[in-house]
Amino acid sequence: MRNRFSFRFLILVIAVAFLLTATMVTLLAAQQGQAPGQGNAQANAAGGQGGAGRGRGAPNPLVKEPAPRLPDGTINFGRVPGEKGMWNLPYIQNMGSAQYVVGAPQPARGAGGGGRAGAAGGGQIGGGEGGAARGGGQRGGAPSEPWVPFQPWAAAFYNYNSLNNSKYDPEGYCLPPGGPRLYATPYPMEIIQQPELKRVVMIFEGGTHVWREIHMDARPHPKAETIKGETWLGHSVGHWEGDALVVDIVGFNEGTWLDYYGHPHTSQLHVIEKFTRPNKGTLHYEATFDDPGAYTKPWSVTWDIPWNATGELQEYICQENNSYLNGLTDDFGQPIIGK
Amino acid sequence: MKIRVLAVLLAVVAVTSAMPVLAHHSFAAEFDATKPVNLTGVVTKVEWMNPHTYFYIDVKDPETGKVTSWACEMGSPNGLTRQGWNRNTLHVGMVVTMNGTRAKDGSSKANARDVLVDGKKLGAASSEGVTP
Repeated sequence: MRNRFSFRFLILVIAVAFLLTATMVTLLAAQQGQAPGQGNAQANAAGGQGGAGRGRGAPNPLVKEPAPRLPDGTINFGRVPGEKGMWNLPYIQNMGSAQYVVGAPQPARGAGGGGRAGAAGGGQIGGGEGGAARGGGQRGGAPSEPWVPFQPWAAAFYNYNSLNNSKYDPEGYCLPPGGPRLYATPYPMEIIQQPELKRVVMIFEGGTHVWREIHMDARPHPKAETIKGETWLGHSVGHWEGDALVVDIVGFNEGTWLDYYGHPHTSQLHVIEKFTRPNKGTLHYEATFDDPGAYTKPWSVTWDIPWNATGELQEYICQENNSYLNGLTDDFGQPIIGK
Repeated sequence: MKIRVLAVLLAVVAVTSAMPVLAHHSFAAEFDATKPVNLTGVVTKVEWMNPHTYFYIDVKDPETGKVTSWACEMGSPNGLTRQGWNRNTLHVGMVVTMNGTRAKDGSSKANARDVLVDGKKLGAASSEGVTP
């Protein structure tokens, strides 16, 4: 109960702090003509490095093999009999980084930029990491991402999260990633297709050890006012477009952020995902965010996810001993949870 | 003195060129990437737990002889397992050396990037650094 109360308190604190700082940030930005958070990013020396999209480890030979298929000819997004395997999800901290946003100017390769999450390095976790944190200027806030169609409040919220280094990231409190962030949280996952049951199930080691079910029976989404209408992961209905699995998600609550950097969304968020497996070693992921509550128009992100042919999922229970929270204080120096 | 400055600079470069591998909490909110730390001490306690494994070491100041207990955070057991760790890799009484990053609040807490255990350097599945 205390945790629940504290969490409500936390949300209140965020709201108050947000209002205070949003104005400040916007004013400052206008005054100085620079990106909020820029100074901060430079001060912590982690900012503004060119984003080399590094795929660590050896090139993944599986990219030369065709994608497996199920007996009915459908693309198999999972294992083949007799083999292990899982998808090594990359750590994408900032989906607003140019390298992930469809249509954004791509930083020139060799100049410290570029490179989406690669399908290389099938062995290690995060082997295909794209270096989101390093691309496009870290923690530059909304002004550093002109290709993200923020509404003013969403930009201010994002700037606030940039300034405090994502202190209030819900995932840091062991709440699940919702929507595409599931594929940007660097613990592996598996896709299990059950065509006979008209569903696809995806199981995630990370986040909070969550799973999602994609209904393939063409059912309608539940009405927004029903209890099921607002959930952490939303309601997913999928269909096939050739070899692409296209998924439509609605019904998100507002408890999650789009990414670690803190791009917000509202419960009006509608996500369209497209999964393809162009070869055995690669899952290509695309997602469109359509949220008239937070953005002025839809915007899309994309990255590749490498197959780890020898991997198996393990257990990860985030809630066990999240002592990070015990030492965390809010913007007024008060403990956020516990104590 | 120059060597010390150089070492600090190198460490800063090493830290800042590192990419987060495993995520859980906001690394930047808790640790200061500009404060690298290198500690050698005797293990006094190990907490093999989600979402972060902790080990505690007693570190003796070579000049004053004062012993300080440090809490060192690593990644989660699933991440550590993939880096070659098991529950028995660390045990009370052994001497280890860790490289990592200090807590922002200046307390004796650090995020470990790698740990030298029995002559073997193991990545700590840190929420901050690239683990080898």
